[in-house]
Amino acid sequence: MGEKLTTLHALAEPNRFHIVELLRVGPLTVGEIADSLKLRQPQVSKHLRVLSDSGLVEVQPIANRRIYKLQSQPFLELEEWLDTFRSIWEDRFDRLDDYLKEMK
Amino acid sequence: MTVENKTNQLTSKVEGNVLVLERTFNAPRELVFKAFSEEEHLKRWWAPGGWTMSIKQFEFRPEGVWHYCMKCTDENQEYFGHESWGRAVFHEIVAPEKIKSVDAFSDAEGNVSEELPQTQVTLTFISEGNQTKLINRAEYASADDVKTVLDMGMLEGVTMTWNQLEELLKEMK
Repeated sequence: MGEKLTTLHALAEPNRFHIVELLRVGPLTVGEIADSLKLRQPQVSKHLRVLSDSGLVEVQPIANRRIYKLQSQPFLELEEWLDTFRSIWEDRFDRLDDYLKEMK
Repeated sequence: MTVENKTNQLTSKVEGNVLVLERTFNAPRELVFKAFSEEEHLKRWWAPGGWTMSIKQFEFRPEGVWHYCMKCTDENQEYFGHESWGRAVFHEIVAPEKIKSVDAFSDAEGNVSEELPQTQVTLTFISEGNQTKLINRAEYASADDVKTVLDMGMLEGVTMTWNQLEELLKEMK
């Protein structure tokens, strides 16, 4: 639960959420992100630090540039967690289906 | 935008921050509604296998409280001995068509958990001859990070990713 809360907290800030959406398409530099979102570079760097501290993005230094890309693990965990709701009801409906036969 | 998933007879789709589950049962609407509205019936199917269900309070009327406990009594299961308390408040009941409630996790005294999200659930029972289509719409109701993220379309994004993953796995086979 703790890791998911970290992921959710990091994503709950609209600018950070937009950064993540941008990075879905492919890795980008701070400058490219700042241009796309019309934000100042220091502001973007601050958000990227939160995102990388919570394991959502990683940095790759290429030559003198730093490229940011998404990490899949936290998203897979979040998805698994959201999917539990679905599977709880799936099992529950199976039991109801059997029980309705008894009720008839 | 809507993303659909089909597993067995269950259809699930995401509409914004609302998760919609649909399933058709081979029983008339009155009977399906009864299974949800009477304590003695609910007890028999609500909890997972190996878990026993005890109902502490069941007031099936608007603003009525349903407080229950599911306990794992199967020693072969990971959660053996574990108790899970739930507390729901009914908001609208139209027999045999609709039940609206807010569901929360709670403790034995009925205090609602502040940490875990609450969901607003609408169950709709649609009569289709001798069958009944049941629609379960669930929306996160508490104002926390979970709701904020889902409101921004995270659930849709996640479901889409999941579909893409399935496609990818098919290609990999």
